[in-house]
Amino acid sequence: MEASYRITPIFLLICVLVVSLIIGLMTRRQDRGGYGLQVRSIGHASIGAAIASNWMSAASFLGIAGVFFLQGYFAFAFILGWTGGYVLLLVLMGSQIRRFGKYTAPDFVEARYDSTVARVFSAVIAIVISLIYCVAQYKGIGLVFAWMFGIEYTQALIFGIVVTLVYLMVAGALKAARNPQIHYLILILSFVIPLMMIAKKLGYNWLLPQFSYGHALRDLPEQVARTYLYPWTFGTPYEWIALCFTLMVGTAGLPHVLSRFYTVPNNRDARWGVVWGLFFIGLLYWSAPAFGAFAETWLSRSGTLLDPQEAQALADIIVIKTAEWVGLNDIFVSVLAIGGILAAISTITGLLMTGAGAISYDIYYRLINPRASERHLLLVAKGATLVLAVIVLVIAVNPPGLIAQITAVAFALAGNTLFPIFLLGIWWDRTNKYGAIAGMLVGTVITFTPILLGHLVPVLRAILPPTSTALIGAPLVILTMIIVSRLTPPPAESLRRFLVEKVHSP
Amino acid sequence: MPHSNRQQPLQDRDLHVNFFRPRPGFMRKEVTIIWIALVAWAIMIFVMPIHLAMTHDDPVRTLAEVPYVFGIPVYFWYSGQFLIVWFILLCIFFNVLIDWLSSSYRKRR
Repeated sequence: MEASYRITPIFLLICVLVVSLIIGLMTRRQDRGGYGLQVRSIGHASIGAAIASNWMSAASFLGIAGVFFLQGYFAFAFILGWTGGYVLLLVLMGSQIRRFGKYTAPDFVEARYDSTVARVFSAVIAIVISLIYCVAQYKGIGLVFAWMFGIEYTQALIFGIVVTLVYLMVAGALKAARNPQIHYLILILSFVIPLMMIAKKLGYNWLLPQFSYGHALRDLPEQVARTYLYPWTFGTPYEWIALCFTLMVGTAGLPHVLSRFYTVPNNRDARWGVVWGLFFIGLLYWSAPAFGAFAETWLSRSGTLLDPQEAQALADIIVIKTAEWVGLNDIFVSVLAIGGILAAISTITGLLMTGAGAISYDIYYRLINPRASERHLLLVAKGATLVLAVIVLVIAVNPPGLIAQITAVAFALAGNTLFPIFLLGIWWDRTNKYGAIAGMLVGTVITFTPILLGHLVPVLRAILPPTSTALIGAPLVILTMIIVSRLTPPPAESLRRFLVEKVHSP
Repeated sequence: MPHSNRQQPLQDRDLHVNFFRPRPGFMRKEVTIIWIALVAWAIMIFVMPIHLAMTHDDPVRTLAEVPYVFGIPVYFWYSGQFLIVWFILLCIFFNVLIDWLSSSYRKRR
C-alpha cells in the first residue's frame, strides 16, 4: 500500500468530530428547557432512525461490502442474519421483555433467575461480547487510519484507540448529547451518494445502484461472474444457513440492541419503530454489495489482478478503495472513510459504556464492594474502560478475521447464551437459575471450543465454524436448560405469577 | 418480584407459562400470531437455500437455467433484495395483528 498521508480526509475528519461535539453541546442546551417534550413528539420513523443508527457499525459500513467482494452470494447470510434477527426479536420477545421491565442482560437475569452467580455470569458474557465487537470496530478504525495517514496498521490502531478515547472523554466531560437521527442521516448519505457516483463513473444506472450492480456482475468475464452469482462457490449450504441463523439469534440476544429497543415511551411505538428501523438498515444493506461488485468491475476492466492475500487485506476497506480506484473526487472518497470511522466510534462508545457499566456495577458494586459511593463507581468505570481498550488493542493487533467475521463471533456468543436465557426466561415458567447457569456454561463452551481447538481438530471447524456456532449451539443450550431445570426445584411462585399476570397479559 | 395482588390468587397449576401450551385467552391468540409470523419468517429464509442446494449443484448449468430478475439470477435477487422487503412486510403484518389483539383486550377490560 502507498505510504503518504491524505490531507482531505484528515482535515474533514477533524471538522466532523469538532462539529459533532458542537452539535452535541447545542442539543444538550435545548434539552434542558423542554425536558420530556421531545420524547412525546418522537414519531415511529424517528425511533427507527435511532435503532438503525445504533445498529450501524463498521461491520455494516465497511464489513459487508468486503465480504461480498471476497465471497459473493455468501455475504447475503450476513445481510439476512442481521435483518431477520430483528423480526425474531420483535415477534418472539419484544413485547414480553418490555412488560418484564428489565432491559440489560444482567438485570433481566437477576430478576428472572434470582441468582447472583447467574447475574455475574451474564455480566461477564456481556463484557466479552462488547470486547469482541470492539475488536472488529477497531480493526476498521486501524485500517482506515492506516490508509488516511499512510502509516502501518499497528501504529494506526494505537493512534485510533487514543483518538477515540480522547474523543469519548471530551464528549463525556462536555456532556455532549448525540442525535441519533442526524447520525443516521449522515451515515446513510455518506454511504449512498458516493456509491451513486461510482455507478455513474462506471457507466451503470446511478439512480438505483442497488439494482444496477446486478448488471455489473453479469458484465464481468464469465468465469468471474460465475463465482459471484453461483450461491455455493464460497461456502456450503450448511455454512450459509448456520451463519444466517447464528446472526439472527445473536441479534435477538445482543444486549446493546435490546436496550436501545426499549428506550422508547411505549410498547406500540417500539414495535412500529422496528419496522422503520429495518427499512433504514435495509437501505444500507441493499447498497453494500454494490461496492464489492463495482470493485470487481473496476479490477477486471483495468486488468488489475489481486492475489488472494492482497484481496483479503483490501476487503475491509474495499468501500473506500473502490471510490479511489474509479477516480472519485477526493472529497467523496474522504466522506466514505469518515462515515466508516463515525460508524465505528459511535458503536465503540455504546459498547465500552456497556462493558464498563457491567464491570463497575454488576461485578464491582454487586460482588466486591457493595458500599462503594457513586463517585467511586464512576472511577472504576473509567478505569474499566481503559483496561477494556488495552485488551481490545492486544487482540486487534492481529485481527483474527474480516470485520464482519469477528463481529459474527460476538453474535454467536450472544446467540448461544443470552438468547436462550431470554427466550426460556420469558416463555417457560419452569426455567430456573440452575438451568440458566448450566445453559450459559454450555453456550460459552460451544462458542469458544472451535476457536481454541479448531486448529487441532479440523472437523470441529467444519461442524462448528467459529462464526456460526449457534445453529447447533442454541438448540443444545435450550435442551440443557430444560433438562437441568426439570431436575432441580422450580422458581419461586411469586415469580411465576408475575410471568402469568404481567408478562403474558395485555 | 413485583406482582399484582388485586386479582384472585391463582392455583399452582394455573401458573404454567409454556410457548407450546399457551394459556387460553390473550396468550393463546398472541402465540397463534407469533407462530404464523415465525413460520412465514423461517420458510422464506431457509427454503430457498435448501431448494437451491438440492436442485443446483453445477454453476454453469444453474446460471444458464434459472430465470433472471433485474438482470440477476432470481435467487440472487431474492436473497439480496426481496427478503429484506419481506421482513419489513412481516413486521407490519405482525404489528397490525398485535395492535388489533391488544385493543380488543383493552376494550374488554
